Amino acid sequence: MNKHTTFLLDISRKRDYLYLLPAVVLVVGFFVTSIGYTVVLSFFSWDGVSEKVFIGVQNYTDIFNDNNFWISVANTVYWVVFSLLLNLVLPLVLAILIVQSVNSPLFKNIFYFPATLSGTVGGLIMVAMLSTYGIPQLFGLVGFEKMVRDWLSVPVVNTFVMIFMQTWRGIGVNLLLFIAGLRHLDRAPIEAAQIEGASRGWLYMKVIFPALSSTTKVVLLMSLVNSFKVFDIIWIMTKGGPYRSSETLALSMYIESFVRNNYGVGASVAILLTCIILIAAYFNLRNTFKSE
Amino acid sequence: MSDKMLTVSSRRSRVLINSVLVVFSFFWIFPVIFALLGIMKSKKVYNLTNFWEFAPDIQLLENYRFIVEYSNILQGMINSLFYGAVGALIAVIFSMMAAYALAKLRIGHRMFWFMLIYSGTIFPFQLYLIPVFKAYQRVGLYDTRVGMMLFYSAICIPFAMFVLRNFFIGVSDEIMEAARIDGADNWKILWRILFPMAKPSISVVLLTQFAFSYNDLMFGITFTTSSGIKPIMATISTFQDHIPAMLLACIIVSIPSVLLYSFLNRNFDEGIAYTSK
Repeated sequence: MNKHTTFLLDISRKRDYLYLLPAVVLVVGFFVTSIGYTVVLSFFSWDGVSEKVFIGVQNYTDIFNDNNFWISVANTVYWVVFSLLLNLVLPLVLAILIVQSVNSPLFKNIFYFPATLSGTVGGLIMVAMLSTYGIPQLFGLVGFEKMVRDWLSVPVVNTFVMIFMQTWRGIGVNLLLFIAGLRHLDRAPIEAAQIEGASRGWLYMKVIFPALSSTTKVVLLMSLVNSFKVFDIIWIMTKGGPYRSSETLALSMYIESFVRNNYGVGASVAILLTCIILIAAYFNLRNTFKSE
Repeated sequence: MSDKMLTVSSRRSRVLINSVLVVFSFFWIFPVIFALLGIMKSKKVYNLTNFWEFAPDIQLLENYRFIVEYSNILQGMINSLFYGAVGALIAVIFSMMAAYALAKLRIGHRMFWFMLIYSGTIFPFQLYLIPVFKAYQRVGLYDTRVGMMLFYSAICIPFAMFVLRNFFIGVSDEIMEAARIDGADNWKILWRILFPMAKPSISVVLLTQFAFSYNDLMFGITFTTSSGIKPIMATISTFQDHIPAMLLACIIVSIPSVLLYSFLNRNFDEGIAYTSK
C-alpha cells in the first residue's frame, strides 16, 4: 500500500466517526458533563445566586445527620421493596390467569390500559379519588368512620397508598412480558409432566416458573431500577409532604435544589441516589449484554 | 405454547379464574368510572353529591368551556405534541447514524463509544436537573421552545441508539457489500437500504420516545415557567380547585398517548417490551 492510499483510507476512516458526532455531542453536552458538574457541586454550598463556597464533604455529613434524610431513605426502601414485590407477583399471577381466561385480549387490555396514562394524569385522578369526597367515604358508609379522612396526609400510610397507585399504573408492561413468556414456553416438558400426571402446583413450581426465569429476571431488574426513580406520582399526590413525610430520595433531591435552593445539598442527594442505582443498574446491564 | 395447554379442564376452576379476573378488572377500571362520573358534574354539584351519584344535569360542555377559557391545557398540549414529535425525530436521525457507525462502520473502541452514548439512560435523570437548569439560564435556553426540543432530543438518543444498533447488528453484511459494489457510499447505504429495512424498529422508537417526552413532568416543571412554553404535564399538574374540569382535562390530554399505545400494541406485540426507559 503506498502513502497515497493510506492517506485516503485515513480520511474515510475519520469520516466514519462523523456519524457518531451528533449523538455524542448531545449526550456529552447534556449528560456526561452534567454528571461531572453535579459531583463537583456536591462539595459546595450554593443557593443558586451568590458565590459557591467550597465546604468539602460537609453536605454529606449534614445529610447523614438530618432526620429528614433518613425518613426519605426509609420511604425509598418501602418503595423499592414493596413495588418490586407487587410489580413482580401481581403481573405474573394475572398473566397466568389471563392466558386461561375466556377473553384474554379483553383482560390484557384492561390491565395494560393504565400504563398508557402518564404518571401525572394517574396521580391527579387518584388525588381526586382519595379525597374525602371519594373512596374514604365508602368506608364511612360501612361503618369505618375513622377511615373517612385524607389518607395522603397520614405519614407512612401515604407512601403505601402511593405504592398501590403506582402498581395500578405500573404492571402493564410486565404483564405483557409475562403473557408473551407464557405463550412462548416450550411445550415438550410441560406435556411430559402432564402425561406423568403431575399436579398443577408441581407443574408451575418445577416446570413453568423455571422456564420463565429469563423473563422474570428482566422484569425484576427493570422494576428495581425504575422503583428508585419514581417522581411524577409522588410530586402530584403529596409533593413529599405533609412535613416531608412521604419524600423519597428522588423527591428530596428535587426539593432541596428547586424548592429550598440548597443546590449543593440537592447535588449530594443526587450523587447518593446515583451510587445506589448504579449498583442495581450494574446487574441490569450485565443481564442485558450477557450475549455480547 | 398454545393457550389450550394450560387451560384447566374443570368447570369450577374455570369459573373461579374468570371471576377473579373480573373482580380485579373492576378495581383497574374504577378510576376511569370515577373520572367519567365526575366530568359530568358542575363544580358545585361535585362538592354536594356523592361520587357514585349521576349528575342531575350534564355539565360536560360547561367544564370543557372552563378548560378552554381559564386554563392553558390546549396550549400545553400543542407545545408537547410539538416537543415530542421534533424531539423523537431528531433523536431517531442522530441515533440512526450513530447506531450505523457502531454496528457497521470502522470505529475503534466500539464498546467505549457505545457505552458513552448509552450511559445517558443508566444514570438517574435527577442528576441532570441542576446542571442543565443552570446552563440553560446562562445561555438563554431556559423557558424556551428550542431548549425543550433540544433536551428531549438528547434524552431520547441513548435508548433510540440502543434499539437501532440491535437492529443493524442483525442485518447481514452481504446486503451492504452488494450495494457497495453498485457504487453506493456509506451515507446512501444508510438511508436508501438500511432505513427502509429498519422501518418497524424506527416506528417503535419514534412512538415510544414521543410518548416519553409527551408524558414527562420532571423536566417540564424544571426547565420552563411561562404558560406558553410549558409542556402539557407541567401545565396540568398545577390545575386546581375545579375538580370536574381537571378530570376532563386529564381525559383530554391522555387521548394522544392512549391512541398511540393501542396502535403500538396492535402492530408491534414484541416492540412494546421496549417502552420503559
